[in-house]
Amino acid sequence: MKRKMKKGKITMIITAGIACFALVLVMTMQFKIVNEADVTSIENMRESELSTELANWKNRYDEVNQQYEETLSMIEEYKNNKESNEETSNLMDSELEQINMSLGKTDVEGEGIVIMVNETDNEEIEDITADDLLVLVNALKLAGAEAISINDQRIINMSDIVYIDAASVIRVNGERILAPYTIKAIGDSSYLESSLVGNGGAVDDMKKKGQDVTIQKENNVKISKYNGDIETKYME
Amino acid sequence: MQNKKVVAIVLGVMCFALTAGICIQVRTVSGTNSAVSNNYEENNLRAEVLRYKERYDNKVDDLADAEAELEKERESATQNDTALKEKEQEITEGNKIIGLSEVTGSGVIVTLGDSKKDASSSLDPSLLLVHDTDVLSVINELKNAGAEAISINDQRIIPTTGIICGGNIIDINGEKVGAPFEIKAIGLPEQLAALDRPGGYLDILRDYSIEVKLEKSNNITIPKYTGTITYQYAKSVED
Repeated sequence: MKRKMKKGKITMIITAGIACFALVLVMTMQFKIVNEADVTSIENMRESELSTELANWKNRYDEVNQQYEETLSMIEEYKNNKESNEETSNLMDSELEQINMSLGKTDVEGEGIVIMVNETDNEEIEDITADDLLVLVNALKLAGAEAISINDQRIINMSDIVYIDAASVIRVNGERILAPYTIKAIGDSSYLESSLVGNGGAVDDMKKKGQDVTIQKENNVKISKYNGDIETKYME
Repeated sequence: MQNKKVVAIVLGVMCFALTAGICIQVRTVSGTNSAVSNNYEENNLRAEVLRYKERYDNKVDDLADAEAELEKERESATQNDTALKEKEQEITEGNKIIGLSEVTGSGVIVTLGDSKKDASSSLDPSLLLVHDTDVLSVINELKNAGAEAISINDQRIIPTTGIICGGNIIDINGEKVGAPFEIKAIGLPEQLAALDRPGGYLDILRDYSIEVKLEKSNNITIPKYTGTITYQYAKSVED
């Protein structure tokens, strides 16, 4: 009887042990799955998100494909005009034109918007900060702006917008700028406007704080070139 | 008998704890809706997205090959003429600055990770996360410190790159990237490293218990922008 009892106990302990082991195993696996669930993965997306994602990739594919075709025809032209220095030079100029536009080395014009931001006399309303301008410029880029300037300082790839405590001024490209601030952007004017003034847009947020912001669509915005030297010392 | 009771109680408590644990886990998993949906349409869409993504990736590779060939053609077309040679260098240099070619150099790597603190211990859990405005500010400070080229999780910052967050991921150049964010910048390392100073932005992030790391390096490679730069609205004006 005593022996039987012992045997029963051992079986019970073993069973309990196995059960516990299995449970712990399952839990570890679960933890791992949770940890590995990649938030950027499309496995987690719902239908509406997937449709947007699909449109996004289609769009990007078309753009790259177009760029590819253009590059191929450019190669052909270089090959065909190898003998003529003049033609080669013209080809390079056409390549340089777009590069210089991206660099901000040329004056540009086109449809777009002009945003006016001014300080208010009301003490209770926050002053315009460098961060406000930074957020505004970022929002314009997100809305597809092709060229941007603040008080005629062209925003280039290396442009910074900072507040200098010691001098209490805002500097863009190292140059001080003063209120009122005029921000110009070239791009799809309707889209630029609606994405900024829409609920939660950068201009909407500033207005909600009581800041003085006006936005205007224009058929022809002129943005002047960057007037400094663009040089690099550290990259190859 | 006493012994048996204790064993039974211990087993009971253990089973309860384990069941509770499993329940919580299962709920978390279904909460993140990572369980692959059986919805037919969703699966179709997912396959379609993957197909386009693959086509895009292939085209990007083709484009890279074509660009290398173009560079070669350009070089061979200009080798006999100094004026043309200069122009060729201008193109190569320009492409590096706007982000259309890979660059290397000295600089810093800044890593920003979400706080490891328990979210329930904070009054406002969103303070424990890295936000788009944090990344934007760090990028701005790097530019202020003279950064010549910047990337976030290998997404190159070009003149038209905007940064936006959606939930706990950040969208850069139309690609979604998640924390931790690895920001590479090429420039004078000592000057860029000044970003991590008492009272500086990185220091403030650290106060919010965000995981912040800054490392100097003499050998940083920043990839090229994989998309295309096109202008539909802006036109150059001759002066």
